[in-house]
Amino acid sequence: MSNAATFRSIEDTVRAAHGPPGPLYWLALAVSGGVFAFGAWAYSLVVRTGLHWTGLERPGMWGNLITDFVFWVGIAHSGTLISAILFLFRARFRTAVYRVAEMMTVFAVMTAGLYPILHLGRPWLAHWLLPYPNQRELWINFRSPLIWDVFAISTYLIVSTVFLLVGVAPDAAALRDRATGWRRGLYRLLAFGWRGTDEQWRHYTRAYLFFAAFATPLVVSVHSVVSWDFAVSVTPGWHSTLFPPYFVAGAILSGVAMVITILVPLRRAFRLEDLITARHLDMLARLVIFTGLIVTYSYATELVLAAGEPASDPERSTFLYRMTGPYAPVFWTMVTFNCGGPLLLLVRKVRTTTWSLLLICLAINVGMWLERFNIVVTSLAHDRLPFDWRVYVPTWVEWAMTFGAFGWFFFLFLVGLKLLPPVSIAELKEDAAGHGAHGPDGPAEGSHA
Amino acid sequence: MPDRGALGTFAEPADAARAVLRLRERGHSVRASMPAPFPAVVAALGRPRSPLQWVTFPGALVGLLGGIALTAGTSLSWRLVTGGKPIVSWPPFVIVIFELTVLIGSLANLAAVAVGTFVGGRAASFPAGVPVDPARVALFVVGDPAAAEQALRDAGAEEVRRVG
Repeated sequence: MSNAATFRSIEDTVRAAHGPPGPLYWLALAVSGGVFAFGAWAYSLVVRTGLHWTGLERPGMWGNLITDFVFWVGIAHSGTLISAILFLFRARFRTAVYRVAEMMTVFAVMTAGLYPILHLGRPWLAHWLLPYPNQRELWINFRSPLIWDVFAISTYLIVSTVFLLVGVAPDAAALRDRATGWRRGLYRLLAFGWRGTDEQWRHYTRAYLFFAAFATPLVVSVHSVVSWDFAVSVTPGWHSTLFPPYFVAGAILSGVAMVITILVPLRRAFRLEDLITARHLDMLARLVIFTGLIVTYSYATELVLAAGEPASDPERSTFLYRMTGPYAPVFWTMVTFNCGGPLLLLVRKVRTTTWSLLLICLAINVGMWLERFNIVVTSLAHDRLPFDWRVYVPTWVEWAMTFGAFGWFFFLFLVGLKLLPPVSIAELKEDAAGHGAHGPDGPAEGSHA
Repeated sequence: MPDRGALGTFAEPADAARAVLRLRERGHSVRASMPAPFPAVVAALGRPRSPLQWVTFPGALVGLLGGIALTAGTSLSWRLVTGGKPIVSWPPFVIVIFELTVLIGSLANLAAVAVGTFVGGRAASFPAGVPVDPARVALFVVGDPAAAEQALRDAGAEEVRRVG
């Protein structure tokens, strides 16, 4: 088969994925939309009558909602890791999977960004977090970690969205020429006048390299900033210099696990097995092992350091409380899923069997949510003053909002899959032509990926 | 106004790269349109690097200076005295300054690539209105259409059309 025929076949496969949806797609869309609507209704109770619907009470003023925020920021990490960092490291396997990861990043940041606002007692005043000229003589406090979040998350959302849409432009142009109706109009808009001329590629490949160079430190900074929300406080279990690398590794672990969780059913439902192959899943699984080992090392470091403290030390007390107190099931489930799951993937048979890989990645997703819960909730529930100790239990309204976020995320994702190419057509063509990921310093300046 | 010349297409990027080298050796001016930036074709065309950095890095610098002005400048204008902390406290400000550097640098990069691709997509860069199979590499040889057509055929083009 000539390269031109291969290129056409890649386009046809992507075009087929954009065909009329089947009943399963509509069912998934209805379920995710329904769950989101229920979560939104539950939140409306909080807006209308106050935070008493939540289980938040002194000293545990952060609960499920902040757990959700940290979890979704973490999920958002893999997109930039796979698209930008692996691009700079010239990892060719990223080609077939990075578009899904980038879409996941944008939708996950959109989800994460909601939570600090949902968590406010008066969310309609969320704009007070932004620096803008006002007549109240009020200005934001740049020394507050919550303001760092505002800057980090909004920058991450904008840069991730730009990165996604810039990557889509050549693919939209490839689909535009054979599209009809509203879809043609959409692709014309997304293609931004793309014609594939050498002059366009010359600027595009250079710009892509710069985007990757910007996004790489950004992805590390964002979750480091989120970890500082905790680490700069003096609360036992939070005040640790380990937090930034620990959070970044955990974020990548949860993000890559989520990418696999999405890719496994996606490649089957959209018949993308020829483009997203078992090898791609295998490489992602190896990434899960690598980041899982870092997370395991971080857990061990925290525990060993706390165990070395004197019996009266609050850090030691907090870690003992996590392991043996009322939240012990959360702690041990977290350890089992996040440490044991990646270790199981060391067995090649487990890693290359789709259902076991999916099962382990689902477990890691649960484990990573529990890790955020374990960090956020247990430290506040067991502060320095024993008279203040109190067990926080999320209410049904908080659970509805937590699951509502999953509904919102998957709803956006399902719609996005039908609008945007789920794989990078241009890069797959480049790979098919026998070139592939030469990276920024490859044999030719123009090389895309 | 599009140039006059001839347009030829190739199913294989490697063939197109060889053709570009051959045509350039014979003194022809060649432009290309391709479904991906095939390194061999890009190298054969011998175009200089895009000067995008002259927009992107000043943009990042503006973000850096804007971040410093926003954090230090406004903290001095609206003094918020908290527990012995300095009004201008650089460690926390660095985070905001860094984020703004990345943000403005990325947006400048976006603006630069948008202008670059818009200009690079205009008819003057490659003839418009001539349908080209998006799965093939198309080469446009500038010059007298008959001579350009012959040059493309000699270089091994599979489908050749005169333009202009």
